[in-house]
Amino acid sequence: METNYETIVIGGGVVGSGIAYHLSERYKEGVLVLDKKYPMSGTSGSTQAWVWVHNKTPSWYAEFSMYSAELYPYLSKKIGDVEYKRTGGLSPFFNESDREKAEKLAESYRKIGIKIKVLSREEVLEKEPYMNPEVAGATYSSIDGNVNPFRLIDMYMRAAKRNGVRYSTYNKVTEIKKHDGKYAVVSDNGAFECKNLILAGGTWSREIGDMLGVKIPVNQLRGQILVSEPLKPFLNFTISGLRQANNGEVLMGYSMEEAGFNRATTLDVIQETANMAVQYVPGLRKAKIVRAFSGIRAMPEDGFPILGKVPGHENLYVAATHSGVTLSPLIGTLITELIMDGETSIPIDRYSLSRFG
Amino acid sequence: MKTDVLIIGGGPAGLSAAIETASRGLDVTIVDEASQLGGQLNQQTQTLRPLPSVYEPMRGFELAYKLIEQIKGLSVKPLLNHRVVGFYADGSAGITDEENVFPVKAKKIIVASGAAEKAVAFPKWTMPGIMTIGAAQTLINRDFVMAGREAVIVGSSDFAMETAMQLMAVGTRVKAIIEKQSEVSAIDQEKVSELSRNGIPFYFNSFIKEVRGNGQVEQIDIELPDEVITLNVDLVCMDGGRMPILDVFYQLGCSFGFQEELGGWVPQYSNTFQTDREDVFIAGNAAGISTQGPLLLTGMIAGISVSEELQAIRSAEANEMRETLWKELGLLEYKEVYSGRVKHLENFTSPILKDQFIS
Repeated sequence: METNYETIVIGGGVVGSGIAYHLSERYKEGVLVLDKKYPMSGTSGSTQAWVWVHNKTPSWYAEFSMYSAELYPYLSKKIGDVEYKRTGGLSPFFNESDREKAEKLAESYRKIGIKIKVLSREEVLEKEPYMNPEVAGATYSSIDGNVNPFRLIDMYMRAAKRNGVRYSTYNKVTEIKKHDGKYAVVSDNGAFECKNLILAGGTWSREIGDMLGVKIPVNQLRGQILVSEPLKPFLNFTISGLRQANNGEVLMGYSMEEAGFNRATTLDVIQETANMAVQYVPGLRKAKIVRAFSGIRAMPEDGFPILGKVPGHENLYVAATHSGVTLSPLIGTLITELIMDGETSIPIDRYSLSRFG
Repeated sequence: MKTDVLIIGGGPAGLSAAIETASRGLDVTIVDEASQLGGQLNQQTQTLRPLPSVYEPMRGFELAYKLIEQIKGLSVKPLLNHRVVGFYADGSAGITDEENVFPVKAKKIIVASGAAEKAVAFPKWTMPGIMTIGAAQTLINRDFVMAGREAVIVGSSDFAMETAMQLMAVGTRVKAIIEKQSEVSAIDQEKVSELSRNGIPFYFNSFIKEVRGNGQVEQIDIELPDEVITLNVDLVCMDGGRMPILDVFYQLGCSFGFQEELGGWVPQYSNTFQTDREDVFIAGNAAGISTQGPLLLTGMIAGISVSEELQAIRSAEANEMRETLWKELGLLEYKEVYSGRVKHLENFTSPILKDQFIS
């Protein structure tokens, strides 16, 4: 296998593969993606995969997410059908007292051009007839939706490979050295050299940063998800907490726990999740749960993406974020611009690693 | 709910583990998804031999009765029609009665989840009238329903030979035994000769090419080495072997090894039948596919080890008993299986699959 590359991406998940694909649109050779297992075996393969803008705060982060969501229809045209559906997103509330908070959120979004409606009980039930009739209202955003994460990453990989990107999988990076202005990346299956190095290690970002003496403050958060038996299509929207997939299965989950890299499921959270789902959609009480799984998600210490050049290290870039599915088309585009053009079409200074001091 | 010992699976291994623990004063809970204890023994009408020296040879359902007799009067709580569906963060088992899920906190868990049959696939194999040999046996012996009038058996293991004879005993005409290898896989040649004496043809190096029927199987094509023959049947019993049921071990985070002689993937365990989770023990077919005698012995060893851990028996005594039972296991178990088991124990500290939930 070729050992010299222009650019190496560490991590082939939705963020790393998104970057590799977008890079491959601009130059056809010299990109290698290294993955310790196989893309989709980690976070990117254990997600509900919402493309979600609304109720992200503050509004500048929602705006950033919106730009990415807007890229999805175009992305599908380029890489193929990723089962992206702009269903619209509903975030229900059950107490009338929450309406004021919802109005405030809508107002702050309006200033930056994101349209969010605060729906009455009747409007919610008209949109989503199977929602609990005790719902008080919901915020609604038309740009929200979801995607099939397996198709998304698979299509990223296929398109990237067609453009000449190489993948080396089940190949863990063990050491990174810098010499003569280049990066030497040592892996289980040999050493590689590159000019540009992109750290897209997701939940392992901290460990990979340590190899270069760079502190990337990303923690792990566990999310547990339940899957129902396939049901007739009956949910129209992506609801904060659950969605119905194309094959009829309903995915349910909103949990966040600190459990390190432990992907086990626990009945405590499974029962909580089932109760949440039944509160939102009472009809789910009759559905059979066929599967439960956990995903370990990346969560930067302050919750916001870490993107761009690594201060003090030439040609070293980092992309570590929560909500990788939502943000991947935008992150791929911006990191490509940064490497190829030296600047980005929308500012990303706010997301620099330097903010952590 | 709290208990000293939670036994998952109320078949022969689970019951013999229950006898060993409850008879030493421990509080035992057995959970089983069936409506009665005894597991597969309930439909086994054949005489089981050899059994451990404490038991006379007897029929399967008689053994079930005998085992259940022994837990009467002891502190054993059977949770029938219940299933373990997962575990809570504090280690409690989540048990459902199909309505609610409730936690059971146990000091030790013995998993005796048994074996699952493997099917043999061929074109249109999902048609009604096509079932595993175990399903056919359950229909005739437990439910008293004739599985079919004219049958073929695919496979020639001891279990398949046994089932063929039981089908004949209830009036089903067995038209052929179809085996893809060049000889029978059954070890007990007596049953094979008896079937031959009854004029049942054995087709070796053969397999089912296709089945046909309107709503249920009516006709099958058998590919013999040099021709294809067609038989009219309304029952096809297939024997794809059995494999340990592993779901619970997986949920408990146990390690696994692969041992062909034991049925494939098997949880790792030591000679005390303790898994690499110190509160979890294993017994029965889950610890390697075997015959009823050895299965009882594994349950006894696991029960003794748990009794020792919970200080219901002194270590010296437990060691001595285990040693005797292991010797008996070596005598009773098919050589191939026993040597597979010994090899499996050696891999205890170097499992192929471990830390499956650590990403």
